[in-house]
This record gives sequence, structure tokens and C-alpha cells, in this order.
Amino acid sequence: MLQRAPSKGLSASFALPKFSSSAHSPPLTENTSQTRKNTVLALCLTVLFVSAPLLWLLKPHRSFSFGWWAALPAAAVTLWQTLQLIPVGQGIFWVERYGWAPTLGLELALRLDGLALFFGLIITGVGTCIAFYTAHYFAGDPRQGFFYLLLYAFMASMLGLVWSDNLLALFVFWEGTSLTSYLLIAFKSEYKAAVDGARRALIVTTAGGLALLAGLVLLGLEAGTFSISGLLATPGIATAAVTPIALTLIFLGAFTKSAQFPFQFWLPGAMAAPTPASAYLHSATMVKAGIFLLARLHPAFSELPLWFWTLLLTGSFTMLLGSLSAIRYTDMKALLAYATVAVLGMLVLLLAFDSTYAYAAFVVTVIAHALYKAPLFLSAGIVDHAMGTRDLRKLAGLGRSLPLLAATVALAALSMAGVPPTLGYLAKELLLESGMKPLEQGQWLVGSLAYGAATLSALFMVGAILTLLWEAFFRRHPEEEGARLHHLPSFGFVAPALLLTLLGALGALAVDSVQNLLFAPAVAALAGEPVELHLKLWHGFTPVFLTSLAILGLGTAVFLARSPLRRLLNSLPAQLTSLFVYDQLVNALYRFAYRITTWIQGSPMAPQISVTLLSAALLVAYAFTHSSLASLPLLDSLEMPSLTEWLLCVLALFGALATIRARSRLSAIIALGVVGLTVTLFFLVFGAPDLALTQLLIEVLGIILLVLVFFRVRPDPDLDSGQGTSWRTISKLGMAAAMGFFGFAVVLINHISQVGESISPYFLENSYSIGRGSNVVNVILVDIRGYDTLGEITVLALAALGGYALLRSPQLPLLRRRIQMARRQNGAADQPTPPKTETGHD
Amino acid sequence: MTEIYLRLVDRILTPILLLIAIFLFLRGHDLPGGGFIAGLVAAAAIELTILALGSAATRDRYGPWLAPLLGIGLMVAVTAALIGMAGGGFFLGRWIQFEVAGETLKLGTPQLFDLGVMLVVVGMAVTYLLRLSEAAETPPPSTKHRETRP
Repeated sequence: MLQRAPSKGLSASFALPKFSSSAHSPPLTENTSQTRKNTVLALCLTVLFVSAPLLWLLKPHRSFSFGWWAALPAAAVTLWQTLQLIPVGQGIFWVERYGWAPTLGLELALRLDGLALFFGLIITGVGTCIAFYTAHYFAGDPRQGFFYLLLYAFMASMLGLVWSDNLLALFVFWEGTSLTSYLLIAFKSEYKAAVDGARRALIVTTAGGLALLAGLVLLGLEAGTFSISGLLATPGIATAAVTPIALTLIFLGAFTKSAQFPFQFWLPGAMAAPTPASAYLHSATMVKAGIFLLARLHPAFSELPLWFWTLLLTGSFTMLLGSLSAIRYTDMKALLAYATVAVLGMLVLLLAFDSTYAYAAFVVTVIAHALYKAPLFLSAGIVDHAMGTRDLRKLAGLGRSLPLLAATVALAALSMAGVPPTLGYLAKELLLESGMKPLEQGQWLVGSLAYGAATLSALFMVGAILTLLWEAFFRRHPEEEGARLHHLPSFGFVAPALLLTLLGALGALAVDSVQNLLFAPAVAALAGEPVELHLKLWHGFTPVFLTSLAILGLGTAVFLARSPLRRLLNSLPAQLTSLFVYDQLVNALYRFAYRITTWIQGSPMAPQISVTLLSAALLVAYAFTHSSLASLPLLDSLEMPSLTEWLLCVLALFGALATIRARSRLSAIIALGVVGLTVTLFFLVFGAPDLALTQLLIEVLGIILLVLVFFRVRPDPDLDSGQGTSWRTISKLGMAAAMGFFGFAVVLINHISQVGESISPYFLENSYSIGRGSNVVNVILVDIRGYDTLGEITVLALAALGGYALLRSPQLPLLRRRIQMARRQNGAADQPTPPKTETGHD
Repeated sequence: MTEIYLRLVDRILTPILLLIAIFLFLRGHDLPGGGFIAGLVAAAAIELTILALGSAATRDRYGPWLAPLLGIGLMVAVTAALIGMAGGGFFLGRWIQFEVAGETLKLGTPQLFDLGVMLVVVGMAVTYLLRLSEAAETPPPSTKHRETRP
């Protein structure tokens, strides 16, 4: 069926680039016959990234034939990649490097080898069809443009991921796909299911992403390079001491992304996304990212037992779990989602092996799956659009009303079931062959596990897809009250699905030309050495072919027995699912956070602030007593205050006393203003006009804010009556004394503990030469230490956003009532403090 | 409607305050002033309008610019910081000088950055003031506990 090329007959066209030369040396010294230096790869990524906002700004929902325009950027990149098939097949790879953060080992290195091109073609090819389909799916919807924005941003991140030749750049793109897919899944944000599903996907994939980052950094440090091609060529990387830890972390990242057990639960939840997004994310892109990463690292680590057993066991179990669960669901998209989980498990299983069969099976399965699963999802979306539901229980006989769609789904189903002569058939044959190989070599345990799992899961997949096909399209009567046909889909709506299906169905017929052009370079990248493929559709009555026939027969039996099977699966307790475990964990976390918050911040504002301030005062007191400052040798050298300063002190004291004695809030606020103005005068006396101005303005705005806030706050009986319990008065007095000491001590320590030379003369001297300004304060703020100021205004803006959200929150009245009730229960009536807005700007 | 004297004060004082804000901003690099202070003055001016006319009328007067002011300010500040990149360093000041009527004027990225600071400060203060004023304008749910004294 296929064979590895004999080494002496190695054709020059398959010579791989020398990994070592391209990895460790700068691109200038690379062998120019094997790489081409240009900016085309970066240009392609830029085209996709720029198309994203552009398509949004064009307001596509106003136009009827926008699908053509929307598909154009993706189609252009697909076309360019198609033209690269021949040179890449000859071992001529595109390599581009751009500096990003060189000190961190991060560079935007792009490298178009066989595997990158293979995945890239699927990403943009399927993406073209999805972009075209979206125009019909969101016809007239004002949010269509926003969807295109997300779709193209996602596509660009995904393409960057597969083209990237730097571990860290790959990670950046990886997180890009996590974020954009989160937005895509949560697109219908008015539905709780969409938001929940999106959050779950985000939490699971980004948690895995963190593990992945740690793993990649460990690997990169061990290898001494973050270049992927360099890493793969590093001798002894597989046996390094850190490799098992790094690989485990990377497995976590890949398995969460690619929905392997026990992380598979986020994928069906992500089906709340709009159908074009589901079709794209779960057939061709997002979930393939983890698989792609494993395939990338395969040449270096595939010989490790850790690699082999992890992938074998995880893959087999996920495969069985997904295919068994699929038939249980009556939602078309959920059924397809579990079938996707099964295929992902299959791909992981294949990556465990080290044989050419397994490589070929991997490559063919990836493309066959993209070409049948995307049309199936798209068709589910069309059914949803036309009938208003995609629940199998309410559907029947669509084959009569939507014949073209029925034909499309039937053709895709044939490929999924593995009926010859489709690509799906070829993929299944190769899968069984690679399971057969260990059996022939006498590895009974491994062989029977792989072969058995593959057979079983293939059989249930046949049952699941037959169920979908029969129940939706061909049976006469639905189980429940049937949905009515709203409107017929136009030809353009069905066309993308039909095109992909035809490619998948007929691709296998042209296998002779496709395998050398498309499959062989990808297989070569997996094997790490050149490979010649001889795939054939027909190869006699081998055991594998007979198994295939048995799968089809038994799959039909599963289909016929679907009702009891569904009942059995539905009767399983929910506690067994990993979704249940995840939900329990998340709920426990919420409860924990709630407890902690009520414990720390459950009391009214004043005691909370007292805790913070008292701790600060205690710290300063500790510093004050445990240093030489306690003896205060420098206190003698302090000058006596002048008359003006004395006067100001008296004024401030008077203001403070008036605040305490005030009988109403308004007068208390005004008296507090007197204190603030005195401080302003202090600044003026000491020659700091900038500070004085700022203090004055802050004082004015602060008083307005206080008045506005207190207008809304229930009067405090203690303050208004002018009397409180003696204990409360004493504690407040103590508090005030502590804070007075705090301020005093801080000023004193600042004044007398001059460590090192003052930086002020430097600023005074250089303010004009560096910042061209004679206002030193301003030059420091906006020029010399502009970075600090940028951080400060960012914090300011964030605080404003938080305050704004809090103030307009619909829960605010509710919260207020709850606080009041709690206060009544505690018998306490503390004076609330206004939101602090006078963020310091020093 | 609020008292007529407040409206009169607003009519006269608000434009003056806004001019002072611009003045303080422009001279900030050499004399006391600068973006932060100018932002506070501008916020005080807008608050005067809020007190005189109410938050809805204020929103009408200053148009749609109040809400996104925070974001615009941050973007201006980051742009100013990034312009220096072309010259080889983050936050590297770049200046142009020209003569207008015998006076030498200089404009540079630090001033652009200062403008960003000012916009953020105005945006922050006005966000709070508007929301709180709106809350103060609508009567609280239970009038029983409402403070009766001024």
C-alpha cells in the first residue's frame, strides 16, 4: 500500500533542509537553494489581520452579495499556498524572521514546510467556504460585520500558529486562537448557554495554555533555542532530565485545546456558537491546534515511552468515549461535536505510533475530517435556518423538501462512515493498517488496544451518522411534533458545503496525484525524513478490508438498535461526566471566594478602612522604634517654624476640630475643606505652586463628590445626634491618634533619614536639556518618568471604568438594601466613606 | 430647573474655566500648570454645568465625547510614547520648533503625552460626577430616610 523509499533511491526532490543549519545560524548564512527569503508569509498574515477590521467597517449586512468579497482574502491566501505545493514538495521552504523581543528569545519566525503548508491550506481553504457561507447565515444581521472581524482574526491567529517556527511566537498565536474563539463562541451573548460554554472553553484552554507556556519555556531553555526547527534538531533533547516534565506540561496544553479526555467537556458546550464558527473551530482549526503541536514535536520525542503510552491511552479512551456518546444526542451539532471528539482521539492515537502507516493515516484523517465535518456542521446550520430547529426529534423527511442539502449530507456521511471510494474510507483503512502493524510485529497488547479501539469507535461513528442522516432526512414521521419549513435555502447557502463534500468524496479518486503533492511533504515533516507514499484505494481482500466491511455492517446494527442504546446512555448517572466534576470545582471556587470576601470585607466601610490604616500605622511604629531614629539625634537641627507656619497650623487645627464638632454633614464637609485649603497654603509657602494648584482643585472636586455621595446616603444617627456610645468614641479617638502619629512619623523619617544623594539636583540640572521645559515637575511627569505616568493614568482609567460599572450596576440598589439590612442586624451605623477618586499623582 | 444664578454663573464661568484649562495646559511645560491640573480645571468647569443644568443637559452640550474620553486619552498618551520608537527609544521626546509673530513656539511628544493625561483626568472625573449627579437627581427609593437638612 505504501512504503518508505529505499535510502539509496532517495530522490533529490525530497531532500529536507538541513535542520541544524537553518536553526542555529542567522538566515543570511542559510543555504539559499533550500530556503527563499521574502516577506510573503508575513504579508499573508497581515492581509488576514487587516481584513478583519476592514470587513467590519464595510458594514456587510447592507449588501446582498458580500460573501464573495468576504471570502476573497482567505481565497487569495489559499491560492498562494496552492502554488507553493510544488516547491515545498521539492524541499524548498519559505523562512522569514523578524525580531520581536530578542532578549527573551522571542522572534516572529515563520517557516512554511510540508506540515505547515498542509494545515495552512486546510485553515484558509475551509475558511474561504465559511466566509462565503457566513454572508448567507447572517444575511441582513447588523452583527455580520463583527462576526467577520472575529472570524478573520481567528483565521490569522491559527495560520500564524501553524506557520510559526518559534515556540514563543507559536504560544502567542495559540493564545490568540483561545481569545478569538472565546469571542466567537460567546457571539450570541444574549444566551446563557453561549456565555457559559464560551467561559468554560476559555478557562479550560487558557489553563492548558499556561501549562503549555511553562513546558515550552522549559524545552527552549534546555535546547538553548526557541526555534522549533532548531529544537527538533538538538541532539539529546529527548533524553534530557527536564523533558518528562516539559512534555507533561505540553500534553496538558495540547489535550485541553484538542478536547482529549478528561478535558473533552468544553467542546460540546462550545456548540452554542453560531454555526459557521462551530463548523470552522471544530472541523478544521481550533481543536486541531493541539494535534498540530503534537505533530510538530513528534520527530523529536516519538521514541519516548512517556510519549507513546500517554498518547496511546488518552487517544484510545477519548476516541471510544466520543464515538459512544455521539449517538446519545438528538441535537445535530452536539452529535457532530462528540464525533469530533472521537476523531481528535483518533489523531492523538495515531501520533503515538512511529510507522509510515500512522503518519499517512494522520495526514489523511486530518484532511478527510475537515472535508466531511465542516459540511456536516454547515448543513446543520442550514437545517436550523430553514426549519428553526436542529433537534432530530422534531425533524423528518427533509430529503424531499431540501434534496440538494440531503445529497450533500449523504455524501459527507459516506465519507464519515468510511464507505469507499471517499477520503474517509482511505483514512479508516490507514488507521486500521497502523493498528495492524504492532499486531504483525507481535506487540499484542498495543496492537489489540489500537486495533480494537479503532474498530469499535469506527463502528459507533457509522451508527451515529446513519442516525443523523435517517432521522433528519429520510424517515417519514418525526418523534415529536415536527418543525415546519420556514424558507428554502438558496443555492449559494448550500454551495460551500457541497464544494467541501465533493472535494472530500472525490479527493480519494485522485489519490495518485494528491498524495505526492499534498500528503508526502506533510508526512515527511512528521517522519523527520523523506518519505514516498504509495496510497491506493483498492488493495485486495486483506484483513483490514474485511474489518472495514464488518464495521459498516455492525455500524448499521448500532443504527438499528439506536433507541435502546440511547435509553441506556441516558440512564447513566450525571456524576460520571467530567463536566459534572468541572462544574463542582468551579462552584466550590465561587463559594470559597464568597466566604473569603464576606469574611474580609463583610463589615461596613469604616472598620475595613480602620484595619488597613491601623496596619500601616503599626508597621511605621515598628520601623520607628526599631531603628536609630528613636533617639532622634537630628531633631535638634530642625528649625523652628515661622509665624506664617504657626498660623497655618492653627487654621488647620481649627478646621479639624470644626469637622469633628459639626452637627450636620454639609458643615462637616465644609470644615474639612478648610483643612484641605490650609494644606494648599502650606504648599504655596514652601514654594510648590504645582502641588498647591493640584491640591486646590482636588479639594474642590472632592467636596463636590462628597456632597453628591452623601446626598444619597442614609443619615447616620450617631453623627446627626452628635452622640455615640462611649466605646465607639474612644475607638475612633484611638484610630485618629494612631493616624496622626503615622503621618508625623512618616514625615519625620522622610526628613531625617536621607540615604544617599538626593536626586533633585539632577532633575533641576537636566530638566531643560532632556525635556526642554523649565517646569521641572511637569518635565519629570511627562518626559523623564513618563513611563510611570502612563502606568498611573492607566490605573486611573481602570478605576474610573470600575467605578462607572459599579455606579450603573442594576444590582446597586439591591446591594445597598442588603448592606442596610446587615447593618441593622449588627446594630452598627457607621459613616460610609465616599469612593476614593483623588488618586495621587506624585 | 435649577436656580437662575447658577445658570448665569455657568454661562459666564464655564467658558472662562475651560480657557484657563487650555492656558494651564499650554504653559505647563515651563510654568506651573500641565495636563493633570488642566484636566482638573476642565472637570470643574463641566461639573459647574452639571450643577447648573443637570446631567442630561450636560450630556447634550458636550456631545458624545464624554464617554470615550478615557480611551481617547490613553490612546493619545500611548501614541506619544510610541512616536519616540521611531527615534530609537520608548518615550524619547521629539520636538518641532517654529516662529509665529516673533515668538518661538515648540511642540513635542511630551506635550502630546500631557494632552493624553489631561483627557484621562477629565474623563475619569466626569464619569464619576455624571453618574453621581444622575443618582442624586433621581429621588432615592425610600423618601423616609432622606436627609432633610441642607
